[in-house]
Amino acid sequence: MTADAPVVRAVNLVKIYQTGGLPVPAVRGVDLTVEAGEFVAIMGPSGSGKSTFVHMLGGLDTRTSGEIWLDGRRADTLSESGWAVLRREKIGFVFQFFNLVANMTVADNVELPALLGGVSPRQARERREYLLGELGLADRAEASPAQLSGGEQQRVALARALANQPRLLLADEPTGNLDSRNTRDVLRLLGKVHGQGQTIVLVTHDARVASMADRVVSLLDGQIVDDGAIPKSRRRPLGAAGDVVELRS
Amino acid sequence: MITTRTAELRWIRADLRARRGQAALTVLAVAGIVTALIIAATLLEDGTNPWRGLFERSNSAHIWIHSKDVPDASALRRLNGVTDVAGPYRSAPATLVTRGRRVPITLQETPSAFPAVARPLLREGRWLDVHTPNGVVVERSFARALGLRPGSPFTVTGLNGATHALTVAGLAESGDQGFYPEWTPGLAWTLAQTLSVVEPAPGRTETVTGLRLADPAATDLVVQRAVFTMRNQVQRVTTWREVRASMELDNRLLGLLLALFGGAGLAAAALALANAAGGRVLMQLRDIATLKSLGFTRGQVIRMLVAEHGTLGLLGIAAGAVVARLITAYAMGETVAVPLSAGPLAAIIVGTSLAVLVAVLIPAWRGGRTPPIPAAPAAPPRGHLSRLARVALLVRLPPALVLGARDAFTRRTPAALTVCGVAIPMMMIAIGLGCWTTLDDFIRHPESVGQAAALTVRPGELPAEEARGRAMADQDVVAAYPGAELDALVPWQTRTVRTRALGLSSDPYPFPVVEGRMFADRGEAVAGQGLLDLLGVQIGDRVRMTIGGTPLIVRIVGRVVEPEQDGEVLSFGVDSLAAKDAMPPQFYALVLRPGADAAQVRARLQGQGLEVAQAVNPADRLAVIRVIIVALVAVLALIGLASLLTASALGLRDHVLDLAVLKAMGLTPRQVMATLVTATGLPAAVGVVLGAAAGAFWSRWLIDLEGRGSGVGAGIGRAPTPGMLAATLVIAIGAALLVALIPARRAARAQVPVTAR
Repeated sequence: MTADAPVVRAVNLVKIYQTGGLPVPAVRGVDLTVEAGEFVAIMGPSGSGKSTFVHMLGGLDTRTSGEIWLDGRRADTLSESGWAVLRREKIGFVFQFFNLVANMTVADNVELPALLGGVSPRQARERREYLLGELGLADRAEASPAQLSGGEQQRVALARALANQPRLLLADEPTGNLDSRNTRDVLRLLGKVHGQGQTIVLVTHDARVASMADRVVSLLDGQIVDDGAIPKSRRRPLGAAGDVVELRS
Repeated sequence: MITTRTAELRWIRADLRARRGQAALTVLAVAGIVTALIIAATLLEDGTNPWRGLFERSNSAHIWIHSKDVPDASALRRLNGVTDVAGPYRSAPATLVTRGRRVPITLQETPSAFPAVARPLLREGRWLDVHTPNGVVVERSFARALGLRPGSPFTVTGLNGATHALTVAGLAESGDQGFYPEWTPGLAWTLAQTLSVVEPAPGRTETVTGLRLADPAATDLVVQRAVFTMRNQVQRVTTWREVRASMELDNRLLGLLLALFGGAGLAAAALALANAAGGRVLMQLRDIATLKSLGFTRGQVIRMLVAEHGTLGLLGIAAGAVVARLITAYAMGETVAVPLSAGPLAAIIVGTSLAVLVAVLIPAWRGGRTPPIPAAPAAPPRGHLSRLARVALLVRLPPALVLGARDAFTRRTPAALTVCGVAIPMMMIAIGLGCWTTLDDFIRHPESVGQAAALTVRPGELPAEEARGRAMADQDVVAAYPGAELDALVPWQTRTVRTRALGLSSDPYPFPVVEGRMFADRGEAVAGQGLLDLLGVQIGDRVRMTIGGTPLIVRIVGRVVEPEQDGEVLSFGVDSLAAKDAMPPQFYALVLRPGADAAQVRARLQGQGLEVAQAVNPADRLAVIRVIIVALVAVLALIGLASLLTASALGLRDHVLDLAVLKAMGLTPRQVMATLVTATGLPAAVGVVLGAAAGAFWSRWLIDLEGRGSGVGAGIGRAPTPGMLAATLVIAIGAALLVALIPARRAARAQVPVTAR
C-alpha cells in the first residue's frame, strides 16, 4: 500500500454472465482509476453494466477477466473470504434498497461492521453515536429498521458504510428508492463526507445525482463511452428549482 | 478476533429475539423427542432388568456371606469398601408342602421392624408381626409360582421331619433374592422365634450377613477381604451379579423395537431442526447477503448459523434430559425406581447431539453459499398455466383451486421440501402404527410368535401320563404336546444351543413356520433365524449335533419365528430324540381353547397338583412401547405441523406480490385465501399420502429387518390396519389444511401494496 497509489484501479475488467448457456457480456473491458478523495459518478442506462462493475470493485461479484487494484494491492485474485476481509477493512457499501439487517436495531446495524473490523465494543459504540449524531438519527438508535422511513433507512445504511472509515465508499443507486426530499438529504450527506476527503464511487442513472460528483463516467453496453471531470464552477446546488439535466459532450 | 465474535453474537441474539416463538418451538420439539427417548429407555431398562430398581429401593447388600457361625459384624463393617452391614441373620432350609408338592424353601430371620439395609419391599399383605408368629412374608415370584396369596396357609417340614403350619402374611420383593425359579430355593422372611420353632437345632442353621459396598466394582476384592477376615467360617458367598443375572429378561424383542424407535426419534429430531433452520435460512437469505457485503466471510456465516440453530438443538436436548429426569423421578416414581444408567443416557444424548449438528450443518452451508449481492432479487416464480389447468378452468373448476394448484408446484424445490417435510414425519407415524399393529398381533395371535401353548405343565413327581391325563381333563385344554428341552453341542462352536423337542413328527406342535415347511418326519427340524446365522446354514441343509450326549443328524426344513435365546433354537419332534431323552417327556405344552383365560386354567391345574408355568407374551413386556408410540406420534405430528408452517410462510413470501395482482384482477379475499390454502395444502396432502404409504410399506419391512438382525427372524412385522391408516390420513390432511388456513386468512385480508420489497 502506498500513499500515492490510486484507491481503485480497474484494468480491462470483463464480466460475462452465462445465462442458459449463452454468454451475456455485462462489462466489456473497462479501465478506470479513482484517486484518493475523488467522487466518481458512474452513469448509464439500465443494463449498461454499471451495477455489475461496482459490485466487482467491491468483490461482491467475480470478474471474468481483468485486474482490480485496491489501494495499490491486487484484489481480483483474492478468495471469497479474502474479499470479505478486505471489504470490512476498506470498503463501505450503500445499496438501493438500504439492506439493513432487519432483525437488528439501528445501533447494532451501524456497530456491526466496526465490531467485524476488530474495534472494541466501546469504540464501536462511540463511532456509532458520532455517526448517527452527524446524520441526525441519534434518537433512533434503538429503533428497528422497519420503523424508519426510506430516507432514514438509507441514512442508517450510510452510517453503517462509514463505520469503519473505509478507503472507498461504493454506492449503488443510493437514491433510486427515495423521494426527492430524501434524495436531497442523502446527497447532502454524501457531499459532506466527500468534503472530508472520502473517496466515493456512485452508480446512478439520475443526472442530478451525478452532477454532485467531480467526475462522471458513462457506461453503455458494458464499455466506457465517456469519462470526464465536471468543472467546479458548473456544479449546481442540488434540488434547486429549474434543474437541468446536464449533458456533456 | 474477539470483537468479530461479538459481531456474530450480536447477530445471533438479534435473530433469536426476532423469532422467539419459533425458537421456543424448535427447543420444545427436540426436548420432546429426547424426553420420549429417555423415558422409553428407562422403562425398557426397568422392565427388562428389575434388579436395579429393586436393589436401589431395598437398599440391598452387594455381597451375602453364608457362614456356619455368627461372624463379627463390626469387623466386617470395618473392612475397606464396606459402608454397611445387614444382619447377621439366621437362616434354615426347609421343605414347603402345598397341594401335594414338596418344594425346598429357605426361611430367613428378619426383624419385625424393616431393617435399613437389605429391606424387603412389601408388595401385598402385611409385614411380620410379633403377635402372629406363624405369619411369614414370602418372596413374590416364589409365591406366584406356587400360587400362594396373602392369607394362604401352607406347611413346612424342618430337617428333623417335624411339620409346622404357617400362613402367608404378605408378599415382598427384594434386590437380595433372585426371581424364582431362576434362583432357588425360594425365600420366606420369618421372625426369629418362628425360625427357632421350625429349626430348633442351632447346628442346622446357617448365618447370612450382607455387606453393602461403596463401589460395586470392588465386590471381588471385598469378598476376598471378608473371607480372609472370617477365616474358615465362610461356607459360600453370593454377589449382586448373580442376583441380577437371575432377574434379567430376554429383552431382544423390546430392544429391537426400541432401537427402531430410537432411530425414528433421532431422524425426527434432525428433521425438526433441519426444517426450522432451513426455513429460517431461506427466509433471511437477503440479510445473509447483506452481512456478506459488510465483510462476513462464508466461514463466519456458517459458524453463526450452526451456533444459533445448534444451540437451540442442544438446549432442547438438555431440557429433554432434565424433563425426562423430573418425569421419571416424580410422575413415574412408583414404576421407575432409578434413573437411566449412564451408558444408554450418554448414547441418547450423544446420538441426538450428532443428529442435531448434521441437521444444522446443511442449511448453514446453504446460507454460507449465499452470494454477497443483497440487491439481487430472488428469482421470481416461473411457470405457466398448464394445459391441464386451462382445461380445469374451462370446465369451470373454481379458479382459486386451479391457481393454487399451479402455485403449489411452480417452484419445484420448495414444493419438494414441503412434501418431504410432511412425508417423513408421516412415514414415521405410520411406522409407529405398524409397531402398534405388530404388538396387537402378538396378543391376538400368540401362536405367530411361537406361543401357541399358553401353559406348560411339568409332571414333577407324578407319572408323565398321569399329568397329561389330568391336564387334558380340563375343559379348556385342547391339546397337550409332549416336550423336552436339551442343550446341544454344535460342531465348530465352543458353546451350546437350545434344542426343543415338542410334539411328534406326525403331530407337530404349531410352530410359526415362515419359510420352508414344518418338520414331518424323524430327523427333520425347524430353526430360528439366529441358529441359521450361527451355523451359517440354509433351509434344506443337514447339521450334525450332539444332543443330550447322543449324536444326531437333522435336516433343517423350515424357519420359525423364534423370540427366545436370540433365535438360536432348533425345534423338532420328540420322536427325533434318543429314547432316553424323550421318555418320559419333561413337560407338556398345553394349547387352550380360543378365548380361554390362561390364568384361570393355570389355577385349576395347580389345584390338581400340577406344576404349571404360564408363557409371558412378548407384547406384555412391550406394553411400555405403546406409551412411547403415542408420545412420539404426538411429537412427530408437531414436527410435521412446524414444517408446514415454515412452508406456508415461505409460500407467502413468494406470493405476496401475486396477491396484489390477484386482487387487482378481481379475486375476492375468500378466493385469494382458497388459492393460498390450496398452494400450501396440496403439497402437504401429497406428502401425507406419500408418507403414509411409504410408512405402511416400510414398517413391515423394517420390523422384519430388525427381527432378522436380532435372530427372532423376519415374519413378525405387520403393516398398520387400513382403518387406522385411513383415520390417520384424514386427521393429518385436515390438520394440514387448518394450519395452511390461518396465515392464508390473514394474508388474504391484509392490504398488500404493489411495490418492490
